[in-house]
Amino acid sequence: MKQNQDITRDRELLLGLAKGEDKSLEIIYSENFPVVLRMILQHNGSEDDAKDVFQEAVIVLYEKVQTGDFTLSSRLKTFLYSVCRHLWLKKVQRTFGLYALTPELEEVIPATEALEEHEARDQEFRIMEGAMSNIGQPCQTILEDYYLHKRSMQEIAEKFGYTNAENAKNQKYKCLMRLKKLFFDQYNTSL
Amino acid sequence: MKEDMTLLREIERYLEGEMSEQEKTAFDTLRHTNPLINKQVEEHQLFLQHLGNYGKRQQLQAKLNHIHHQLDMPSLRKQAQEENQTARRLSIRRRTISNLAAAACIALVTSLSTIAIIQNVSKNKSTAQYEDVRRVLNNIQRSQNALINDMNSKSKAPLNPGTYGGTGFAVSGNGYIVTNYHVVAGADSVYVQNNKGEAFKAISIFEDISSDLAVLKIADSSFKSQPLPYALKPQSVKIGEEVFTMGFPRDEIVYGKGYISAKTGFNGDTTAYQVSIPVNPGNSGAPLLDNKGDVVGIVTGKQTTSDGIAFAVKSAHLKHLLDEMPKDKQTRRDWNHKSRLEGMNRVDQIKKLEDFVYMVKVYN
Repeated sequence: MKQNQDITRDRELLLGLAKGEDKSLEIIYSENFPVVLRMILQHNGSEDDAKDVFQEAVIVLYEKVQTGDFTLSSRLKTFLYSVCRHLWLKKVQRTFGLYALTPELEEVIPATEALEEHEARDQEFRIMEGAMSNIGQPCQTILEDYYLHKRSMQEIAEKFGYTNAENAKNQKYKCLMRLKKLFFDQYNTSL
Repeated sequence: MKEDMTLLREIERYLEGEMSEQEKTAFDTLRHTNPLINKQVEEHQLFLQHLGNYGKRQQLQAKLNHIHHQLDMPSLRKQAQEENQTARRLSIRRRTISNLAAAACIALVTSLSTIAIIQNVSKNKSTAQYEDVRRVLNNIQRSQNALINDMNSKSKAPLNPGTYGGTGFAVSGNGYIVTNYHVVAGADSVYVQNNKGEAFKAISIFEDISSDLAVLKIADSSFKSQPLPYALKPQSVKIGEEVFTMGFPRDEIVYGKGYISAKTGFNGDTTAYQVSIPVNPGNSGAPLLDNKGDVVGIVTGKQTTSDGIAFAVKSAHLKHLLDEMPKDKQTRRDWNHKSRLEGMNRVDQIKKLEDFVYMVKVYN
């Protein structure tokens, strides 16, 4: 009975998350982080490790919720915990090889499926991130301002001291082309 | 380069819907006719999607970082450490307990088996050292003399010499005889035979396994009662006191002389004496008498590991046993008189005594 109630509450939280409500995100974060922190510390991780792993898990959750085909079958806490465990396991494997695996971590973790999709997305993100950091600071800011923060060309021209919006636009296209090139170079070779 | 940029600009305008209807149709046809441009458009769409994802994720990460900064890290850290410590302590405790349990089990098994082995060994040793001095009778040991006596007296004693033999002595004039329990244990029938060769059928009426004593009663009409010449001395005798015994290690009565060498019997048994006296199989149940002719004990066994060490149940114990016997089986109290053997020399004592010492033959 109690578990059912919990799941209902968890589902509401996820709905909030899907709508992009900051409040839901905050609740999910603050309620589940301590458990994960404890788990990571227990398995010889640091606080930063815990933060990285947990945030990645939240991103996984977020992506899942955003695509809309995610139904929560267990408690949210369980889901996040197992995803975190899995991520930490991978991280440990990457860093130390098979050496540092504790038997507890080797348990079968049900989140594998959820993570495969995430990995592809994560790779795309890394490529974009890499490309972004390679085009130089001014270009990066212009593109972020225009495409991500949806600022108008006029504002951008003023911010960066271009004489008019048209000049800024030209600059933006130059940057965009560079970014595209860098991105697709990586994207096509890696996929 | 310039053309690329123009194309890019056109594509963007196309995708963002900034084109006029006319321009849009023109661009659509261009897409249809030129696959290269079409590919560029699709690529740009994909790119914008990725860029959008990138943006969203960055935003999310920023939010997460923001939330993370708001968390009360020190208290969380403390809490997590405490919980981990308790968990660790618990698991250590659990491990310790299971280890201890295993160790305890092993210790228990080891000690139990050690005890069992030790007991077994000591038992074996004891039984090896202690030997009942009842006699296994066979035809060869049976003397011709006894045979002739047997025939002459025409008593009803069976010709078969019996399976086991021991010695018994009268504790009352009317046919009660004391011998060792181990002599009559498991007997089908018991016969007693005196030195003259007269045999009487007897039945065991009382047995005490713990002191290894048995009381027999002669159940034969031909038996004539006569007063006992000796008395029972319930006080314990001193070490060094000279004692003698008469028994049937063979078919002839045999006299043996020795002294009390210790006040306890085999393995510190307080109900018995250690006696230094020659005893042989067949002496079991023989009376042990002091110089005055008082019964002080009953010979029961000897130690096999050393010579000349025999054991005898104390007479106090015999008295106790006789007192304890059921009323209807009570012996007559003809113990209480003074020994009639006092002051006699040994030869006369033996002469008087030998009529009251019987060979006990057991058939089974």
